[in-house]
Amino acid sequence: MSHSNTHGDTIPLHPSSAQSDMDEIESLIHEAPSSTVLPARPPSPPRASIPVSTSPPMLPPAGSYSKPPPPAQQQQLPPFSSSVPPASSSSSSAPVPSASVSVAIAADGFGPPLNTLTEPVWDTVKRDLSRIVSNLKLVVFPNPFREDPGKALRDWDLWGPFFFIVFLGLTLSWSASVKKSEVFAVAFAVLAAGAIILTLNVLLLGGHINFFQSLSLLGYCLFPLDVGALICMLKDNAILKIVAVMVTLAWSSWAAYPFMSAAVNPRRKALALYPVFLMYVSVGFLIIAID
Amino acid sequence: MDGFFRKIDANPDMYGPLWITTTLIFMLAAFGNFATYLMQRKTNLDIWNFDVGYFNWAASVMYGYAAVVPAVFFFLFQYFGSRPSLVRFWCMWGYSLFIFIPASALLLIPVEFLRWVIIILVGGASSWFISLNLKECTEGADMMVLIASAAVLQFALALFIKVFFFA
Repeated sequence: MSHSNTHGDTIPLHPSSAQSDMDEIESLIHEAPSSTVLPARPPSPPRASIPVSTSPPMLPPAGSYSKPPPPAQQQQLPPFSSSVPPASSSSSSAPVPSASVSVAIAADGFGPPLNTLTEPVWDTVKRDLSRIVSNLKLVVFPNPFREDPGKALRDWDLWGPFFFIVFLGLTLSWSASVKKSEVFAVAFAVLAAGAIILTLNVLLLGGHINFFQSLSLLGYCLFPLDVGALICMLKDNAILKIVAVMVTLAWSSWAAYPFMSAAVNPRRKALALYPVFLMYVSVGFLIIAID
Repeated sequence: MDGFFRKIDANPDMYGPLWITTTLIFMLAAFGNFATYLMQRKTNLDIWNFDVGYFNWAASVMYGYAAVVPAVFFFLFQYFGSRPSLVRFWCMWGYSLFIFIPASALLLIPVEFLRWVIIILVGGASSWFISLNLKECTEGADMMVLIASAAVLQFALALFIKVFFFA
């Protein structure tokens, strides 16, 4: 019992942090009153006193922590588990009776965003990576049968664009034979400043687009050019480079087209799209010409 | 050429100048590199490297020219008494740069004499555009010095483009 309580409050956030928030809420509501860690309980000393009650609710009440994650999290928290038992054993009996209450409390005073502060770094990284992959699939490989076309826009993030821009800069810099750092600087500046200016352009043309959504989109649409740059770096044949860049350029423009054109008045579509095309063409040219 | 200011009278737009300048920067950097590559190929030397510095120079010179020169002339014209509008000046100078875009494509031809002919023609056309419109908008024969200097500056820009990017 105390053993399970120990694990209940020392295991910080278990993979529910990798779930979407809706899933967490649903699991909380449906799960048995299993939360052994409650707001009433004094938090373990080394940890921030943030109510971690929302996460471990997945734990079965009776303490056999047959949960998947424990091994990883146990390894991450040996110091916690060692220091906590004395504190938790004293109140081990307290949590259980109020377990049923805790679910209601947790369902109301729900604060999932707070959990991301105390979750293991690996969980954060995994969640961000999965978001990048899902956004990439939605933006760059659009298929007409997807269930929610606007999801990529709502779930925008800036890690993906950052990775793609830096990767492109690095690839170009690697392929260049002289002035490598200047090549990186030019590529990064053109892409970063270009994304911002393009977004401003759409806004000034009277379009409706969220600033960060647009930045995120333009960054994700860079992915095909990354692939093209990688191909050009690996194989230095002129014809291959031209063909690869043409294909990936067309793919990038095709990916960016629906989002940009949907954002502005139809009569000004070309005005909004031309700069996007210009930016991708100049980057494509940079990819071809760097040798 | 007839009445550029009349055309933009109601709505001087900044979209044109900004994106014309940006396109010109890209064209100069790209075609400038390509042109030096073609010239070097004629001499069979094979020491050509893509010069990223062209992007930096093109951006600095073009953005600087398109932003600063109209502002300076705005203040000069005001000082000498007429009443121009800064936005219209920016608009006009921006559109005057448009002709350099097809010119930079034409300057790819690796024949030196032809390049000089092209750039002189283009520079002349651009200067003429500027001086014609300045004369019309600032109602003054006593501004000739300013108008002439604007034209000369535009021509100097054309020469700089040829000498620096398409050497």
